[in-house]
Amino acid sequence: MTHGFFDGYLTEDFFDEAFEADGAPRPHYRQLIERFTNLGEDDIRHRRQLGEDVFKARGITFTVYGEHEDIERTWPMDLFPRIIPASEWEVIERGLAQRVTALNRFLDDIYVGEQAAINDGIVPRWLITSSSGFEREAVNIPVPNGARCLVAGIDLVRDRDGIYRVLEDNIRNPSGISYVLENRAAMMKVLPAAFREHRVRPVDQYGRALLRALRNVAPPAAGDSPTVAVLTPGAYNSAYFEHAFLARQMGVELVEGRDLVVDDHVVYMRTTGGLQRVDVLYRRIDDAFLDPVVFRNDSTVGVPGLMAALRAGTISIANAAGNGVGDDKAVYAYVPELIKYYLGEEAIIPNATTYLLWDPDQRKHVLDRLDQLVVKPVAESGGYGIVIGPKASDEELAVVRHNILTDPRNYIAQEVVSLSRSPSFTDDGLAGRHIDLRPFVLTGDRVEVIPGGLTRVAMRAGSLVVNSSQGGGSKDTWVLAPIDQPIDVAVDGDDVPEAELV
Amino acid sequence: MLARHAESLFWAGRYLERAEGTARLLDVTYQGSLQVAGGEGRDAWAHVLDVLQARKEFDRRGRTLDEGAVCTFLVTDRSNPGSIVSGVATARENFRTVREHLSSEMWENVNGFHLDLQARNIAADLTGEPYALYDLVKVRCQTLGGVAAQSMPRDETYSFLRLGWMIERALITCRLLNVNYASLGHDDYDAMLLTLRSASALEAYRRSFQSSTNPTHIAAFLLQSRSFPRSVLFCLQRAEHSLENLAGPSTSRNRAQRILGRIRSQLEFTDIAEFVTGDVHATLDALEQSICDIADVVANQYFRVGSEYALQSQYVLPGEAMV
Repeated sequence: MTHGFFDGYLTEDFFDEAFEADGAPRPHYRQLIERFTNLGEDDIRHRRQLGEDVFKARGITFTVYGEHEDIERTWPMDLFPRIIPASEWEVIERGLAQRVTALNRFLDDIYVGEQAAINDGIVPRWLITSSSGFEREAVNIPVPNGARCLVAGIDLVRDRDGIYRVLEDNIRNPSGISYVLENRAAMMKVLPAAFREHRVRPVDQYGRALLRALRNVAPPAAGDSPTVAVLTPGAYNSAYFEHAFLARQMGVELVEGRDLVVDDHVVYMRTTGGLQRVDVLYRRIDDAFLDPVVFRNDSTVGVPGLMAALRAGTISIANAAGNGVGDDKAVYAYVPELIKYYLGEEAIIPNATTYLLWDPDQRKHVLDRLDQLVVKPVAESGGYGIVIGPKASDEELAVVRHNILTDPRNYIAQEVVSLSRSPSFTDDGLAGRHIDLRPFVLTGDRVEVIPGGLTRVAMRAGSLVVNSSQGGGSKDTWVLAPIDQPIDVAVDGDDVPEAELV
Repeated sequence: MLARHAESLFWAGRYLERAEGTARLLDVTYQGSLQVAGGEGRDAWAHVLDVLQARKEFDRRGRTLDEGAVCTFLVTDRSNPGSIVSGVATARENFRTVREHLSSEMWENVNGFHLDLQARNIAADLTGEPYALYDLVKVRCQTLGGVAAQSMPRDETYSFLRLGWMIERALITCRLLNVNYASLGHDDYDAMLLTLRSASALEAYRRSFQSSTNPTHIAAFLLQSRSFPRSVLFCLQRAEHSLENLAGPSTSRNRAQRILGRIRSQLEFTDIAEFVTGDVHATLDALEQSICDIADVVANQYFRVGSEYALQSQYVLPGEAMV
């Protein structure tokens, strides 16, 4: 069987999302591959251009912080989507819900509970108290319904055997959902017929689900229709597009710190009609900048008095303050144990193999194999500070070795996961590129996983770095509906648009 | 609506109107410079700066006042916040911060405007034939006005945008008359053409006054026309309408409404014959000042809400002086 367009495409020694090792298309990709084959090169080029134009015209950009000036880039989306069949997604969904449920329980236990996981010896106390994400200021501040990870973005990768693994938990301020929705909107414009041939589950219910989850954590005094606002550091933040997008999707105000005032422990926003009370803030600024009275006093993007208002219970914020302790990469290593401890279940999605460096045996093992492992600082996100052993120079490895020996608590080491690859459009034509997946999980009155997520692509040949801040691309991610079930689109199933009930 | 958002909209409206006004003035002045006419020797480029009240800002740069320097300063100079390129970039930034209030068409148009300007070799336009550039700016601004009218609900967003737009337009027309009035006095046909074209008013004027070069007619038209959309009266009426929308159904007038209403009715009921026999410059200066005052009153009423909290002593940090 020849595929024309895909002739010469090599899976090499990797798990390829679209093709088996022998070169045959995987069953759930067959139709898509056939469609691309039939389109022909010119048509494909045209559609790729169309896609780029859509993003450019809509001003969908992200900012790369440069050495001299910040650069505004148009969001890159690859024309070849990623497909996840229903059977695979069902497992991922359960696994993510399980993981986030356990993380919520853990954080509640640490901040307002009896710290049972510590007392029962599941995690060492010193590990928690030494975490830079552990906020003493957040102790004893309750969160309604314990929904501390209201929005979680759990990074998944597939290894050489196609097994999904959790690479890291992002439970502070995970970003990327706006691009999930924009990728989908763009794909429906540039490749409409392909949607007809697949039963793709929609993602555009996100705004409504997020608003519902946010209202779910409002203080009881807020009544039936609490006022929600999105708090952004401002237009120069790299994720500002997303902040504005989410405010628009929910139909709520997008506020900056300077739009808010706290009076007698109540938070108000300055509006053209005077001061208006705010009940829930979906804050997209880090803990350290939230409130200059309590945290960094040089923060100009925060709200003086916000923490006191939180403690007074007049307002809720999401995600909760202090979540950083839960996505500390050293604590991440304990999550499978925490799942067992709180839920009495085995973790459905395994971690990547992780070494904790304060343990002398593990540290020795790591230092002996430094050139074969990945070393990460425990508190960073966005791919910053990561050293990939096999690609690192001797000097870099020497620095890492020194860092580990100086401060072993601050680093973890992981086996290199040979990320799965997907056919992607590169400057040199179609080629396999490594990808990951960030699904988004909301904690409302129940834990809900948005079907799909952000598939990020390492666009440089052989690169494992998918972060958009470091030149990564993205793919629309299609989760297929089970064959004989109607597509469930709405959160409640109450207002399913007709067109989607095919 | 957030006070800061209202302010962003107000200024976006002002910047866009200013960009259009600048493009039109430069276009007309460029055309005027092509022929030897009665206007020869008149310092046309300095007048452009005066109409836009940019003379001081220009002089500070210490450049010789000639066509090239004025055009660069008014079109591409990023250090001049009022230049076309800066103004459009600011309007886009402002729209970006209020994007959740705008229709997608509105955002895509302003974004496209900005991208068009970024993609152009404007230096080449200015040293060659600048028509295409000025057309682009005028058409884009007018399109935005149309898109706003066709795609946005008549809510606060629209009202603040329109308010800024109309106040800037009233100011530009007022200054245009003020700067050119002296030259209108001597049955000067070229001066009449230049003045009216700069306000895009020539065709409409002719329908009312044919080719009259009588300064009284020109002043009456630019100040008091009830039908011409760039006359000062027309703009103030529209601005009043926006304030009414913002005030809602309340029966009493707020401060901004009272002041604007006074200025508008004074202008509306001025006898133009008396106006031209008095000190025209002083009267127009006063009118300009009143329009600026309205902008200030609007700012106090809508944009500076809760400003008393900024200085609350309880938030002064240890070691920090009170501002």
